[in-house]
Amino acid sequence: MPQLFQRYTNTLAPASIVAVFIALSAAVWGMHAIIFSPYATEVGQPVSQVVPFSHQHHVAGLGIDCRYCHTGVETSAFAGLPATETCMTCHSQIWRDAPMLEPVRQSWATGQPLHWNRVHNLPDYVYFDHSIHIQKGVGCISCHGRVDRMPLMAKSETLYMRWCLDCHKAPEDHLRPKNEVFVMKDIVPDEKRGVALLRAEEIDKTHLQDCSVCHR
Amino acid sequence: MPTTVQTCETLSERLSAVVLKRPTKLGWFTCIAISFTGVLMLNVAISWLLLRGVGVWGINEPVAWGFAIVNFVWWIGIGHAGTFISAILLLLHQHWRTSINRFTEAMTLFAVACAALFPLLHLGRPWVFYFLVPYPDTMRLWPQWRSPLVWDVFAVSTYFTVSLVYWYIGLVPDLATMRDRATRRWIKVIYGIGALGWRGSAKHWARYEMAYLLLAGLATPLVLSVHSVVSLDFSVAILPGWHSTIFPPYFVAGAIFSGFAMVLTLLIPFRKIYKLEDVISERHLDLASKVMLATGLMVALGYASESWMAWYSDEPNEEFLALNRMLGPYWPVWWTTMTCNVLVPQLLWWRRIRISPLPLFIISLLVNVGMWAERYMIVVVSLHRDFLPSSWGKFHGTVWDWATFAGTIGLFFTLMFLFVRLLPMIPIAELRKQTVEEGKEV
Amino acid sequence: MSDPLPPANSEAPLRDEDEFAPGAAEWPEDLSRRRFLQIMAASFALAGGACTRLPHGEILPYIRQPELLIPGKPLYFATAMDFGGVGHGLLVRSNEGRPTKIEGNPDHPTSLGRSSVHAQAALLTLYDPARSHAAMKLGHPETWEGLLGELLPEIEKWKESAGAGVHLLTQRIASPTLVAQIQQFLKKFPKAQWHFHDAAFPRSPMPVTVHLEQARVVLSLDAELFGYGGANVPNALAFAKARRRDENISRLYAVEVTPTFTGAMADHRRALSPSALVKFAQDLVVTLRDGSKSSDNWSAALLRDLQKHKGQCVVVAGEFQPPSVHEAARQINEALGNIGKTIDYLPAEASLPPSGLPELVTAMQRGEVDTLLIFGGNPAYDSPVDLPFGEALARVPFSVHHGLYPNETAQVCRWHLPESHFLETWSDVRASDGSESIAQPLIEPLYPSKSAHELIAVLLEQVPTTGYDIIRGAWEQRHKTDNFENFWRKSVHDGVAALPMPPSAKAPEPAAAPAAKAEVESKSLELVIRPDAHVLDGRFAENAWLQELPKPLTQLTWENAALIAPQTAKANHLEHGDVVELRYRDHAIRVPVWVLPGQAEGCVTVHLGYGRTYAGPVGSGLGSNAFTLQTSDAPWGGPGAEMHKIGDGHRFSTTQSERSMEDRDPVRLVTADKPAVEVAREDLPETTETLYPKWKYTGPAWGMVIDLSACIGCSACTIACQAENNIPVVGREQVLRRREMHWIRVDRYFDGDNNAPRLLHQPVPCMHCENAPCELVCPVGATVHDHEGLNVMVYNRCVGTRYCSNNCPYKVRRFNFLKFNDDHSETLKLMRNPNVSVRMRGVMEKCTYCLQRISAARIDAEKEKRKIRDGEVIPACAQACPADAIVFGDILDPASRVAAMKKSARNYSLLGELNTRPRTTYLARMQNPNPEIG
Repeated sequence: MPQLFQRYTNTLAPASIVAVFIALSAAVWGMHAIIFSPYATEVGQPVSQVVPFSHQHHVAGLGIDCRYCHTGVETSAFAGLPATETCMTCHSQIWRDAPMLEPVRQSWATGQPLHWNRVHNLPDYVYFDHSIHIQKGVGCISCHGRVDRMPLMAKSETLYMRWCLDCHKAPEDHLRPKNEVFVMKDIVPDEKRGVALLRAEEIDKTHLQDCSVCHR
Repeated sequence: MPTTVQTCETLSERLSAVVLKRPTKLGWFTCIAISFTGVLMLNVAISWLLLRGVGVWGINEPVAWGFAIVNFVWWIGIGHAGTFISAILLLLHQHWRTSINRFTEAMTLFAVACAALFPLLHLGRPWVFYFLVPYPDTMRLWPQWRSPLVWDVFAVSTYFTVSLVYWYIGLVPDLATMRDRATRRWIKVIYGIGALGWRGSAKHWARYEMAYLLLAGLATPLVLSVHSVVSLDFSVAILPGWHSTIFPPYFVAGAIFSGFAMVLTLLIPFRKIYKLEDVISERHLDLASKVMLATGLMVALGYASESWMAWYSDEPNEEFLALNRMLGPYWPVWWTTMTCNVLVPQLLWWRRIRISPLPLFIISLLVNVGMWAERYMIVVVSLHRDFLPSSWGKFHGTVWDWATFAGTIGLFFTLMFLFVRLLPMIPIAELRKQTVEEGKEV
Repeated sequence: MSDPLPPANSEAPLRDEDEFAPGAAEWPEDLSRRRFLQIMAASFALAGGACTRLPHGEILPYIRQPELLIPGKPLYFATAMDFGGVGHGLLVRSNEGRPTKIEGNPDHPTSLGRSSVHAQAALLTLYDPARSHAAMKLGHPETWEGLLGELLPEIEKWKESAGAGVHLLTQRIASPTLVAQIQQFLKKFPKAQWHFHDAAFPRSPMPVTVHLEQARVVLSLDAELFGYGGANVPNALAFAKARRRDENISRLYAVEVTPTFTGAMADHRRALSPSALVKFAQDLVVTLRDGSKSSDNWSAALLRDLQKHKGQCVVVAGEFQPPSVHEAARQINEALGNIGKTIDYLPAEASLPPSGLPELVTAMQRGEVDTLLIFGGNPAYDSPVDLPFGEALARVPFSVHHGLYPNETAQVCRWHLPESHFLETWSDVRASDGSESIAQPLIEPLYPSKSAHELIAVLLEQVPTTGYDIIRGAWEQRHKTDNFENFWRKSVHDGVAALPMPPSAKAPEPAAAPAAKAEVESKSLELVIRPDAHVLDGRFAENAWLQELPKPLTQLTWENAALIAPQTAKANHLEHGDVVELRYRDHAIRVPVWVLPGQAEGCVTVHLGYGRTYAGPVGSGLGSNAFTLQTSDAPWGGPGAEMHKIGDGHRFSTTQSERSMEDRDPVRLVTADKPAVEVAREDLPETTETLYPKWKYTGPAWGMVIDLSACIGCSACTIACQAENNIPVVGREQVLRRREMHWIRVDRYFDGDNNAPRLLHQPVPCMHCENAPCELVCPVGATVHDHEGLNVMVYNRCVGTRYCSNNCPYKVRRFNFLKFNDDHSETLKLMRNPNVSVRMRGVMEKCTYCLQRISAARIDAEKEKRKIRDGEVIPACAQACPADAIVFGDILDPASRVAAMKKSARNYSLLGELNTRPRTTYLARMQNPNPEIG
């Protein structure tokens, strides 16, 4: 009776076992890689807008304060986007007929709002509140990155829940003096100062990781 | 019934012939056709469930667990006999087990497969089932370890894996036999791959024996752990009728009870059809019935102690529950349970009944029914009237509840029929060994 | 048999198209292959959701940002609602210009920050997709201009004929300006006639104001003091105050036909059939007058009690009682010198025209009506059966119906004009105490609609015709002040005008002589017709919140029934759920029987408002139409009704099937002389009896107390919660399956003798247990304890094992068995509270103590580096409660109101013996029985 299997099957059999393990771990690793890849997180991926608004120009170049446009940021959950009126305060004077600004003038003329594409988009079941973070000394750049270096706005953090929790676990590393909240400069983590600010702002860390803080 | 002297040769010949030589009869096709219809129905039921939500079932407030959990516990219970027989009886040197262990192990696997469907399907959002599994997620969250449902995930999956491996290891020498006895090449190849190059050398046998024994040792505690953990799903809760310390032993006993019932339900017809009365002899029926009788009595003790505790604890809710089971709106369930699980098995005291297939077959069927009713009583009847009268309600299975249940039965039998058609349902090698060792007919 | 039987509820079609509960039915009505694939695709997308990108949204900023408005911050505006001709002062929350929640206005003298079921539900009516979207001519869409095209020539004709043949039909009107406008119209067209018809708020025989806080003894002669209508909110609050006093707790006697909230609160309750009640009242007068011995010691003791409290007691007769009972009540009050102290008799309602529906219908039949202008209401449906309004209307050449819905009347009128909801238009109202409020709009009309003011202004050919100008103009005329601008602004802002208007307390001229007592002897079954507590005369039939709100004492939803006493059922060989043909004066309806303990013997009660044909997708085809039994001479029924069993086994869509407490005493009772609640069946376990470490609380520890001696069981909490927390409606079929979603339910129990039971209510929200059974069984940690002691439910983590619900001894958890939330109807999206997640299919939900309100308060407090003040956080239920029965706050703050109440001897935990240590506790219900009555 001829041999049913060739010799190589002797090596093939144990090899297949190893292969399966490799395949599985590769799958897991791949999954992880995708989830944290810029494709999925959209970190550093500029979002196209009707008007190619440049934070770099307006913030770094002209030195306009964040609050000039994002008026709600200190009082409301929603930082707010500037009304067309706000744009026109300047652009009725300067760059009056720059083709780039045509949509703004259109909106002003027709009364139709500008359609901005969201850059930072949290799920509906997450209730983030800008005002309290600002009040307690979390700087803009902690979440939004160096917008003064962004010609087009892009996410600079994943906004994954684990990322939120990292800070809610140890806020002291991300706190800054009130007067530096809107300042575009990175902070060097400083244990002592952080703890001091924590006490100064009367931040109660115990409930910062409660589900109820963000989910309702 | 024919009693021929069994030699290794005749054994191998006959048992492999069941798969290799025996022409596929119309009967087999009819059976599998019927059971496969069940599988199709299961598909429809599951699709509809995923489409509309668990609301297509009859569950509600207060009865938030219905058929799904009843069926889950029932199937898991049935899935106990196999490993019990092959592992525990092996360690206890019960040689009679050899003729039926393969068969019952297969039954175990298929039953557990059916059972495992339900915990998944009964989720409100089955597509996020993986929240129950510990893995490094983007939310920095873990399962909630105090919940028995998490323990379930591990208990059931472990049990399934070990049973599968155990079953497969046992199959290897027989697959080799099939490989050698098959005539067509492609069949040889297929069995050959499964046989992992088994040549029957002394070395192979030594390793095989060791592995088999080790796995038996590993499987034994699992037999006891799985249903204990399942029972904790209930006994951890504060609900009257659930919150009871007797549950683990009483569930395990019940599981083996129902498991053996299912073994008999299947064996009796199969041994007749495939003319294996001499291999699976009266002795097997007798012994299996004895196990049933024993475990049945344990279950009865469980019922008794529940009622006793209800009275003895003087806990009004417990007392109410006990009465509500017997006389409440769901009284038929309780009486069915008692008749099928306590009264009927008492017939097994008579040897005549223990060795006569037909009555035994009927009894085993009744016990299966009774065990399902018991789970229905535990899940539904305890839930429908709990603490506050204002929230009391009723539960009725919808057409989809029944379709899903019947569907899993179809799935079970489909797998069973495929098994007897494609694999040796009697462990050839072990029987050979036994004949050699004991030198007497099986 | 004069008329075909309307279908019984059992035949009511399974309404899968009901837009409030899409997919709430079990079988697919229309599931095309395409749809199937779509949904399948969707669910697979969800399955892969873990590693797919979120969809990109858009942000549309304003062109010019309105002042005050900060996106993300709600604004509150004072306004007012006309409910049955009585004004309710409201405070409405607006998120980005969308009214999202209605509360009572704290500055308003009668609403006092409290609200009623109907005030809460008005929000849904505003956004109801079934509201009429456009003017209709003979059932075809038309424009406002189209109507003017026909109307203006008509008006010219009226000028010539001085309005001869012109008839107006209105319901009760709370707006002084509207009444003035109508008077103006009648002045301009002298021959025109004004008729009044209101099936739910009929002309009152003797309008009164009751001061329950002053009364030590109250006798209700079938008066629903706390039910729907005029003064329910102030009454409830006043009564609660009188019950919570440390001494001189008031005592309430109720003699009534069908169990009411008043009867449920009574210390002594007696159920009498209508005729027996008339006799009872008259006997009371007689025995009081000639001091003769009264027949039974119950009424003897009652009389003695009344006489003991001269000037401190009050006898109130029910709206639906005949004049003889009102007269009897008045005589007793007069004899005991209560008038002016505990009760004020108001002048007969001058604002209402003398002529009613009968006069109108006769005129129509005579062909004398050329033009009929119907302002609101639905006479084609809710007119008594002997007044065939629909047929008569055929003889009216020019008819206009002005209303919120294209209802039965709109179908038969030549013209239908959409009416603006009160949140869409300017108006004004007068409250039950005479105070006036301006009702300002919170949103532009959603549809091309007009308010009654605007319509009449057109009829008067006035310019300008915008609601604002009309109201402001009218006020400027009526209230002459030196600085009107300030007065106007202040009135609009405060929600109540700063002008005192005490009701004149002059007694009316005695009413007609007491009716003959012939019917008392009648052995026959008496029919009792009443408006439904929630849908009233059917005007709210399209409001799904009200439809699904369990009805008082039956807990019935989505349908009506024939209520009979157990004895009556036995006498007629009927059982709960039998379907009978109920016949009265050769008209009959088919209706299922509900055996209701506490119902008077020998009478059958049916409620109005059901069996509608053109209510809309929600309200049509439910229940049986009791107007078929109503006749203009006996609008509230009378003797001579018959019941014949024609079927059985009707499945009622009720939310509570059990009646008794099964000796588990969820509701505890105490009396003034024994105020301490006796402990549970076994002693409460030591709080140390737990394996887990105790929680430590640094911040506030939220807790709630529900005072059962204040709770009247009105369910305002339930519906307020529904509005605040985006709770879906599930529809009748799902209620039948016991899948209602209310986060706070009001349980009802019948205690003691089934023939004369004590009626008990108990609101049950989530208890937020310290040792929560739900928390430790959730496999994914979707329900957890937080550091303020809240038992929080994380929807987006929930996988839906429902184990938590099984393990909850209070069964307060609610599960989305199907996709209950409607995301098709655009208007309903506007209604949602943006600060509460809209739950998807397959997740558990429950009361959160209004977490969104706590979070808002916490954030404000933390910004200002202070603690949250007591009373800064008020959950929707507590805010709505008209009796102030629900109190919420920080139990660790000794100064807080809730902490003080938890110290009360009446405080007890529900199922405390389970050692769940609930944060929500109850104050046992205080009873004040008359010792003379055994």
